[in-house]
Amino acid sequence: MNTGPAIAVKGLTKDFRIGLRGLKLRAVDNVSFEIPRGQVFGLLGPNGCGKSTTLKIILGLVSPTAGEVSILGFPFATTAARSRTGFLPEAPYFHKFLTGRELVAYCARLSGVKPESVNPAVEEALALTAMTEAGDRTIGTYSKGMLQRIGLAQAIVHDPELVILDEPTAGVDPVGSAAIGQMIKAMKAKGKTIVLCSHLLGQVEQVCDRIAIMDRGKLVLEGRVDDVLTRRDQTIITVENLTPEARRAAEEVLAQHGARVTSFTHPRRSLDDLFRELVTGSRDA
Amino acid sequence: MKASLTRISWMTRLTFLEAIRQRFFAFLILLSAALVLSSVSLRFLDFGHGELKFVCDFGFGGMFLFGSVLAVVMSAQLFFAEMDNRTALTLLAKPVSRTEFLVGKFMGVWLVLGVFIFTLSTLLGIILWARCQELTVAAIEAGKAPPELSITGLFSYTGMQWARLGVVAAMILMVASLARTFLFTVIVGSMLVVAGQLQWLAQETLLKPGDLNIFSKLLLTVSTYIIPNLQQFNIGDALTLDHGSVADGAVTLALFSGICYIVVFLFIGSLMFRQREI
Repeated sequence: MNTGPAIAVKGLTKDFRIGLRGLKLRAVDNVSFEIPRGQVFGLLGPNGCGKSTTLKIILGLVSPTAGEVSILGFPFATTAARSRTGFLPEAPYFHKFLTGRELVAYCARLSGVKPESVNPAVEEALALTAMTEAGDRTIGTYSKGMLQRIGLAQAIVHDPELVILDEPTAGVDPVGSAAIGQMIKAMKAKGKTIVLCSHLLGQVEQVCDRIAIMDRGKLVLEGRVDDVLTRRDQTIITVENLTPEARRAAEEVLAQHGARVTSFTHPRRSLDDLFRELVTGSRDA
Repeated sequence: MKASLTRISWMTRLTFLEAIRQRFFAFLILLSAALVLSSVSLRFLDFGHGELKFVCDFGFGGMFLFGSVLAVVMSAQLFFAEMDNRTALTLLAKPVSRTEFLVGKFMGVWLVLGVFIFTLSTLLGIILWARCQELTVAAIEAGKAPPELSITGLFSYTGMQWARLGVVAAMILMVASLARTFLFTVIVGSMLVVAGQLQWLAQETLLKPGDLNIFSKLLLTVSTYIIPNLQQFNIGDALTLDHGSVADGAVTLALFSGICYIVVFLFIGSLMFRQREI
């Protein structure tokens, strides 16, 4: 079994030629990173920073101007590499006349699932994405959230080693986003490598092991989530029933040891958590 | 190889399903069927030709014209629908090569064109056969020779038209694989179809002894190889009403040349499509 990185990108550069004069627009600028197998990797950045172009290059949909890409040990996104990769594009659009079940079965056949295994694979993918009941409806009748979920189902139906998700929560409400987050965790538990592009930074923080941030085509930060977010020079202590006297005493003791208290605050839950607590069911179901 | 054929067959199914659900297809097939059916009631406008010939010409004309429009517009539309709606992004991220994608598209379109052409042909065959029966009885009663009608010849012609439409569809997909817009593809593709219909003129000019300069000669020679002779497929009258007048091997040769052009156009198209950024 190949134990190398799931994806290795080295010196990746992509220029687009625009206009009649062929002016160059550099979409990706000398980007390098590695994604270890079995991890969830978040690729972040503002719109137009080159995330989607990077993903397209990884998948062989766009050719790079310079640089190297290896995917699952293959030097490029060959057919063999893509048969072990699942992809959910940004704002997915599928053939509206197909039912969800037909689409997933169709993608299973295109991805090389054997005829006798197609039905079980389709049902498993639909169950994982909570689309079993809506599977017989045509895609044209789906809501945005359902489109994302059926997109996820078609991406994972062939049990790929690597799953690339480009904005899987775009246009999805917080309940649907949380459900997608749970699906990502479930896939990670199965040992899949997941690449996640998202603007939901809270969710990325929760589900990702590593992140990379791109800006104007360049990679500005890359590393483990804990390493890049944890401020090692500060500590948070959460205390129940803290009286003013106890607070003063604690500050004095800390000062005696050279520490300085910079703030005393009450913990807050996130609006995301509050919303999900109050709105329990999915409207799509 | 088997996996590749499986993927092509699934691409074909999807394209075929998408195509037959389009209103444009339904509209054209109804319009063409109406034209073929109306040929019976318009047979008094036979311009001095035999009645069956008039019905044949009318039917073949409808199949030729609407078949060509369908081949050009549907090939371009189905290709650009995948690009513009970004469904190609999902499909090409799967282990589907660009060649498989293009061949699957072509096969799907060709299958639809087959449904179109064989449906109309069957309709025309029924009309011709029914009218031929009536004319045969009348001719025998009048002591004249009965009219000749070859249903086999009609379906040979149908097969040739299907091959011709296949050449047109492959040509359009080749243009589409390079073009950026649907409109450009339809315009350039239509011009190529017209050039193909007139290609025999270049062949005739080359055969005639004359004082063509080297540049003209070279241009005409190259054009006879690059542009397919679409006129060679239009021998419906002879096949259906005067089977004996068709030269031996003409049908086989036309079909063989059609298949060769399809393969070449798809090969060039897939080479260009590989360079395209999705």
